[in-house]
Amino acid sequence: MDERFAPVPPEAEESLPPPGTLVGQGLRALLRRYPIWPVVAFFGKKRVPEHRDTGWYALGGIAMLFFAIQVVTGILLMVYYRPSQPWQSVQRIVTEVPYGALIRSVHHWSANLMALALFVHLFSTFFMKAYRPPRELTWLTGLGLFGLVLFFSFSGYLLPWDDLSFFATRVGIAEMEKAPLLGPWMADLLRGGADVTVDTIGRFYVFHVTVLPLLVIALLGVHLLFIQLQGVSEPDHFAALPGEKKRYRSFFGEFLVGEIPIWLFLWGVVLALAAMLPRGLALEADVTAAAPVGIKPEWYFLAPYQALKLFPGRLELVGMAMMGLAAGSLLVVPFIDRATPSDARGRLVAWLGAAGLVGLIVMTVWGLLS
Amino acid sequence: MNYPVWNVPILGSGLVVAIIAIIHILISHLAVGGGAFLAVAEWWASRQADPERIRAFLRKFVTYFLVYTTVFGATTGVGIWFSIQLANPEATSLLIHQFVFAWATEWVTFIGELTVLYFYYYGWHTNSRRMQLVLAILYFVIAWFSLFIINGILTFMLTPGGWTLENRDIVAGFFNPGYWPALFIRTLVMLTLAGLFGFVVATRVDDDLKERIIGFAARFVVPAALLMPLFAAWYWFSLPVETHTMWHNGIVGVAGGRLEAITRYSWLAAITGGLIVIGTLIIAWKPRATTTTAAIALLATAQLSMLGGEFFREMARKPFVIRGVLYSNGLWKAPSKAPVALDQPYFESTRWEPDHATPGSAAHGEWIYRLQCASCHTLDGYRSLAARTAQWTPGFGDRFLQNLNQQGVMPPFQGNSQDRAALVAYLISLHGKPVAAAEVEATLAKEAKP
Repeated sequence: MDERFAPVPPEAEESLPPPGTLVGQGLRALLRRYPIWPVVAFFGKKRVPEHRDTGWYALGGIAMLFFAIQVVTGILLMVYYRPSQPWQSVQRIVTEVPYGALIRSVHHWSANLMALALFVHLFSTFFMKAYRPPRELTWLTGLGLFGLVLFFSFSGYLLPWDDLSFFATRVGIAEMEKAPLLGPWMADLLRGGADVTVDTIGRFYVFHVTVLPLLVIALLGVHLLFIQLQGVSEPDHFAALPGEKKRYRSFFGEFLVGEIPIWLFLWGVVLALAAMLPRGLALEADVTAAAPVGIKPEWYFLAPYQALKLFPGRLELVGMAMMGLAAGSLLVVPFIDRATPSDARGRLVAWLGAAGLVGLIVMTVWGLLS
Repeated sequence: MNYPVWNVPILGSGLVVAIIAIIHILISHLAVGGGAFLAVAEWWASRQADPERIRAFLRKFVTYFLVYTTVFGATTGVGIWFSIQLANPEATSLLIHQFVFAWATEWVTFIGELTVLYFYYYGWHTNSRRMQLVLAILYFVIAWFSLFIINGILTFMLTPGGWTLENRDIVAGFFNPGYWPALFIRTLVMLTLAGLFGFVVATRVDDDLKERIIGFAARFVVPAALLMPLFAAWYWFSLPVETHTMWHNGIVGVAGGRLEAITRYSWLAAITGGLIVIGTLIIAWKPRATTTTAAIALLATAQLSMLGGEFFREMARKPFVIRGVLYSNGLWKAPSKAPVALDQPYFESTRWEPDHATPGSAAHGEWIYRLQCASCHTLDGYRSLAARTAQWTPGFGDRFLQNLNQQGVMPPFQGNSQDRAALVAYLISLHGKPVAAAEVEATLAKEAKP
């Protein structure tokens, strides 16, 4: 035995293809040089409980699929986008660059579907009570990722600098400015001044293409590592089963492979949406003009926007406080609802969550219709 | 000219036809391919050690298949007839009159198909295995023959070939340049769908049988998918040169990304086609990991692929509903059929004159929109006119209408300057500030003076 090489562990010998095959030989050669079998075994032990709600486990992976599409199409768009000539460069992308309009539409639709997938992921993990101890930090990193993605959407929305994006951003930041204490400071920080200008583009662009991607990738790594370390959460009805009745699928060998056709389909859906409903480009933002009538934020910001309308004038602060409370309650829920299996408090939290979800949907639909 | 029009807000009548048709196309192709699947599987079962287990699977397959194809196939099929005659009576009438015998044959094959399928299904326990095999083969042959017929009429609309309004040579029209490649492509699509449907049903049986059935079903998908690019290329070269030009223009997003629909749909069809191959290989590699949801997702991907392909075919015909003969909005290309020069007062040439549409009124513009634009456009939904005319001025709008068919994707405008002014006023008024036709005419008159 040559001492320069590490031995292949016996467990690896069992799992690898036979040494006679090209792949088997190649993998053994790699393992002798880089003894990473413990890492492989660490990932290989991840398993997914099989029960009637298993389908919901797919949502995180689906959100990651859309994120991957965003990274690829975003890089392609960066090739032609110029923050110094925002509207002109996007116009060039959609009218001169081969397939530029298609890539931009895919980026647009994939962003929307990513936000949708994350909403569903958030609520499905909420109702399956995956946030309970010991998974508090997985839940909090997930919420952090959700916030980052919303900021991603907000910052990307401004970049084309057309009438729609300019006025929606101006309205959005103006709302933020009304918040007490940090509101004005944060609004100025985002805008780079008292109003939305080309300097705002610079800031949003930097956030959108460097700061946020780095943060998301780092936080996502932590989020996934936590799940890997603790295993996939099991809902009460599954955890209560006797050991021999619990069925699992290996995550990488079965679950993930089984998900691939669904990802392929969703990639097809993004393409179909981009083909049927391409993203348009409105006229270049006219910063001196009055806001066009009926301007409103994208659907994922509609619920708070619509809810705030219920609190006119000085009551707006009350509305903001209530929304802050609602968002804050998501942060503290793992520390309030801790019992496994669920007790009376846990059931109350679930009902409150259901009320919150209904409220969110009602406000969003109301916002879309009004 | 169209009759009193079918006004469908947001979607538009064309998209309604498309939505019904796209579902019908998935089912009808599956109905034929499923026949081949049944016949081959009957034969395969007889050569296995456990034919009864495989037949139990087949029984499951044919139960889903029968309900799915007959209920949804028949309702959407009738739905197509119902919607196309409302959306485009002129073209429907021409197709019926030209292909009377073909339609009659089509309906006979439809009844034959159903009869044989019922014999197969309800004779499951009483017929001999040999009889079942014969019935399955017979079902496939009859069903495929219905494709043989309908394919002639469908391809005729895009490439009428030697057929003209004068010679009415229905053989030349039926076996037109697009006929054979389209027939092969559709046959391959059918086999693919049968395999994908087989995956779905296979996920409902025990693991070891599931593995074998998925392996069997994959043999329907992979060869068909590999042959597809070949026949797609043949089909591409049978298309008129105008279609090729339109496709190439679509690579860059002319007019703010609105005119390149044909290019986008071709990529949708091609990429989703590739996704189906990848998905099939993965399912065949790890059959036990395949869930029903995953198998349905792949079948739904095929639906997206067919959406891309069929929309491509529809876009390729632009601006005609029957290429070179009849425009999408019911205007005949040959003046022999409608011997009215295009710049006469429009309502003199329509079959039905809205009596309240007095010249220059808002109703005048609206009725021109309904009769000439609404077969493809809606006001503010699919292919929205409000969005397309957002930046119109009276002068630009008037020139645009005068050159409407220059880009090759729209029919010429029918009507005189007064009609144009009425339509321009109507379209500009969509943006919140009402403009009268008289104002448009005044602006144009002012611009005309140097």
